[in-house]
This record gives sequence, C-alpha cells and structure tokens, in this order.
Amino acid sequence: MALRWIAALIGFALVAFVGIVVIGDFSAERAADSWALVAAIGLAAAFVAYAATEYFQTGGFGSIARQFDLRTVVLVPIAIAINIILGAAVANALKIPIYLDSIGTILVGALAGPIAGALTGFTANLVWQYIIPPPFQGTVAAPFAIVAAVIGLMAGLFARAGWLRPRPNSSGGALLIGGLVALGIVVLLAVYAYVRFYTDAFEFFNPDNADPLFVILGWLIAGLFVAFIVGFVALLVVRRDLTVAYVTVAGVLTGMVAALISAPISANLFSGITGSGTDFLVAAFRQAGSDIQVATFQQGLLSDPVDKLVTFFVVYLVLTAIARRTIARFPQGERLVEAGDASAGEGGEWRGASG
Amino acid sequence: MAGGERLNVGAGQDRGRGVPGFLGRRGPGRYHRLNPLTKATLATVTAIGAVVVGGLLGPALLVAAAVLLPALAAGVLRRLLLLAGLLALPIAISAFVVNLFFFPGGADVLFRVGPIVATAEGLGFALEILARILAISGAVTLFYLTTHPADLVVDLERRGVSPRLAFVANASVQAVPAMVERAAQITAAQRARGLDTEGSIWRRVRGLVPIVAPVILGSIAEVEERTMALEARGFTRPGRRTLLWAPRDSVPEATVRWLMLAGLAGLVALRATGAWPG
Repeated sequence: MALRWIAALIGFALVAFVGIVVIGDFSAERAADSWALVAAIGLAAAFVAYAATEYFQTGGFGSIARQFDLRTVVLVPIAIAINIILGAAVANALKIPIYLDSIGTILVGALAGPIAGALTGFTANLVWQYIIPPPFQGTVAAPFAIVAAVIGLMAGLFARAGWLRPRPNSSGGALLIGGLVALGIVVLLAVYAYVRFYTDAFEFFNPDNADPLFVILGWLIAGLFVAFIVGFVALLVVRRDLTVAYVTVAGVLTGMVAALISAPISANLFSGITGSGTDFLVAAFRQAGSDIQVATFQQGLLSDPVDKLVTFFVVYLVLTAIARRTIARFPQGERLVEAGDASAGEGGEWRGASG
Repeated sequence: MAGGERLNVGAGQDRGRGVPGFLGRRGPGRYHRLNPLTKATLATVTAIGAVVVGGLLGPALLVAAAVLLPALAAGVLRRLLLLAGLLALPIAISAFVVNLFFFPGGADVLFRVGPIVATAEGLGFALEILARILAISGAVTLFYLTTHPADLVVDLERRGVSPRLAFVANASVQAVPAMVERAAQITAAQRARGLDTEGSIWRRVRGLVPIVAPVILGSIAEVEERTMALEARGFTRPGRRTLLWAPRDSVPEATVRWLMLAGLAGLVALRATGAWPG
C-alpha cells in the first residue's frame, strides 16, 4: 500500500524534475502556464505509477476498482446533475464571482475515493458541454475537465486522510489549537498570495489609488476576509466540531491548486472571460494594469479558494445530514463517520440491551 | 420519463424488435444518420481547430465549412443559429466588452467612457475571442441538434467503453431534468408551507436552503433504491453485453474520422513548430 503511494510520488517528482529542467526558466511572463502543464503531466504520471505498482503487486486494480462499486456508479450521475444545475444557475443567473459547480465532484470524492472523484469531475465537464441540452449546456466547460478532475482527486485524498470525519464535542483546547493552526495556514497563504501576485499591479489599501473601484474592491475583500474569520470562529465554537478547521484548510488548499491549473486554460482559450460573475473581477484587475494571464490568475486566486471553501462546507453539511448507515455503505464511507463506538448515537429499541 | 416527448420522435421507423422507442430512430436527414462518433469528432476537431488556427479568417472559414454547411444539409441551420447564438450570448457580450475596454497595453484609443478606454488593439482581440467562442458554441450545438445523447452512449458502449461509464453518461442526461422537476415540486411544497420566494433578495437567498437541501438529500436517498433495482437486473454481471441495436458505422466514416484527427494533429504540429503564421 505504502509502496504504491511512494511510486506515485516518485512519478510526480520525476515529471516535475524533467519539466523544470526542460523549461528551465519559470520567471517569464507565462510561467503559470508552464507550472500548470508540469503539474498536470505529473499528476497523470503519478496515477500511472500508482496503478502500475498495484498491478505489479496484486495482478489487478483492486483499490481502484473498489472505488467504482454499483452504489458509486449510481451516485455519479446525480452528482454530475448537481454540478451542472448549480453551476449553470450560478454562472448564468446569479452572476456572483464564484462557480459552485463542484459540489457533486467533491461529494463523490469524499464518499467513494480520489480516483472516483477525479473521474466524476472529468466526466461531468464533458457531459456538461457535449450531451446536456440547453439551457443547462455549458459553452466553456470541457476545457476545464482536467481542473475538475484534480478537485475530485484532492477531495478524495482529504477524505481518505479522515479530514471530513465529524469530531463533535471536541475539547476546548483541541478547538483552540486546531482553530489557530487552520487560521494560521489560511492567513499565511493569503498573505503570501497577496505579496506575490497582487502588489505588483496595485495595492488594495493605497489611498493614492487613482480608481475608486479599487478602494471599494479592497474594502470588499477585507470585509469578506473579516467575515470569514468571524464565521469560522463562530462555527467552531457553536458546533464544537474540530472538523470545521480541517474543512477550511482543505477548501482553501483545493481552491489554490484549482486556480493554478484553471487560470492558464481560461486565459489562453477565452482571455479569462467565461460569461459568469468572475468576468467583473478580471476586468477590474486588467484595469489595474495586469496583463491577461496575470489578471486571470489574480481573479482565480480570489474566486477559487472562496468557492471551494463554500463547496467543502456544503458537502460537509450534506454528509452530516445523510444517515450514517447510508454513508458507511460507500467505498470510503468508513472514513466519514465518527470514530469510536458505532452505536453511540443510534439508540433505538436495543439501547442499553448490550449492557 | 423526463423529456419523453423528444425521445419518441420518429420511433418505430427503423429499429430492431424489443428496442426501446428512443433508440434506433432514423434521423430526418443524411447528416443526422451519420455515426454519432463522427459528429462528435467533427465538433471537437472544429472547436480545437478554431482555437489552434487563431485569427479571424481561420475560424470563420472553419465554421462555414464544418458547422454552417452541415447544418444547411441537415436542415437545422435556423435552429442552430438561434440556439448557438442564445447559448453564446452571455459569454460573447462579456468577452467583447471586457476585451474592448480593458485590454492591457492598448494604446490606440478609439473612445473613452469616464476612466475606461476602448482601444483598437482591444477591439481586434475581442473580435478574435468572439470568433473562437462562436466557433466552439456552433460546433457543439450542431452536434447536439443532430444527435440523440443515447445514440452516442450506445455507440461508445459498442466500441468497448465500460457499461458503467455508459450508464453514468446516459443517467446524467436524465438526472438533470428529473432534478429540476424535483426542485419545482419541493419549491411548490415549501411555498404551500409559507416559504417566501418572491420577497427581497435576502429573503430569497434564505429561501434557497429549504429548497436545495431536500433536493440534494432526496436525490442521495434515491441512490439506495436505484442500486438495488440495478443489482436485481444483473447490472453487475461480468462479461460482455449483447446490444440489441447500435448506430450504424461504415469504413468511409471511420476513415473520415481518422483524417479529421490527423488534420488536427498536423495543424497543431504546424503551429507548435511555428511554420504556420500565428
């Protein structure tokens, strides 16, 4: 088992190494393209290495095939429909700068496993563009299939690591430490992203900003961030559930990776414009002086973490609302239910009978 | 079944015995009757080709040859123009406005609106992106208008795609209208209980939760029943299935498909080596 993951890691590292040597210079203005390309090929190589090692060890693809039991196969179309309906509604009707088109993908990744999640994301975007009739048809969905696959993969890995397992009645100390660590990671990522990718073009809180648009945008983003922290702490305290911290980190990390991979696709194919609410952000960043590649990336780095954070929370709430026996029947379901005494929460007529 | 009206069009004209009505119907035109994979290949090659060629003239010629001409032959030109236009409208407007007014480094000023400047460079780029979007949207719409989704899925299954994947693709198409219908029922039920769906924006947003949550949870609860139904009908049985019907394919069609793919590969190679003027 461990050997397969090591093989996958080596495969990824090998591709990354070769890619970095071949491309050589990442400082050019199209660096993001190269990073995304290397990451995508590396992931494919990692998957092949994993599968090959498993085949070599066991003569089959058991751990991958297990993620596609009949229950999962039935869930996937429903997950794809959730993706498409919510995604189309948000992009065409609501026009808010997030996507909400990966709830189903992350749900399958969590319930069935990383490979199942990746395949759901990939298939969903192809189906969305090619075989769903209007008005739900997506004009620009298929090129982003690889992004959706990575999102499903990451969700599956986080769930496999037990990050989405409910931890009710966590102790105060655990909540404090977990909350601080999660906040620390998010703030660190936010500060790094801000310093690295946003200060070149403009500063959010510079009073000399020529454009009142950026003053408003800056305060809006700051307000959003404060709201996030308040909401995070409140949720942690009210639910007394340490998993809130895990879900937050998982969402933000997934969002950043998604932005890294999707921005070059969006910029090169569609000049960053996809007909949804995110277009306003791209326009704003371009007005600030970023070129097309950078503006698209700046938009993605803002939209994606927020989007995936919301999505992960929705999925977590859905998972806590589904009956435990339903969850446990899915391939990866055992990693989504509370650890410890299985009969603790479900008394029924046999309560106390086992003494 | 959801969308049943459309599925039964032309049923019973040319199909084997025991095949459900929505399969095996003859399309009205010669183009409709091409193998679904041929049409899918044409759509994909056109879409990617328009991106690879770039510029304005290239995609325009490509659309004329690979979208408008087949649409004319299939007799769906009017519907194609209408549908593709409607589909591409939001992204087209957005792409045009943003690229016209917010083009980084544009110096040749056309006109100004307050602090925002429209540049000639932006206009050129906007038209280029517009041509690309219309080509993609036209190609996909032509495919949609002339192909029944089930035909493509059955054809893929005949070619050895796993029945599970075929089921996923087919069931997704049916799940979307079914879920919309479920949402409509739940909305009606919640409104009967006093849910406000027409008040202020904040009220409507709050009203989303009691609609979206039952839709998602109800759909997931349904997984159990469907699993047992499929299990009882031998869905997990190993081995190959016998298809009672599959779309026809021919050697010339297969040759054309490979030629299209080879042409696309050649185009990509030309662009990558810089032999094609970019």
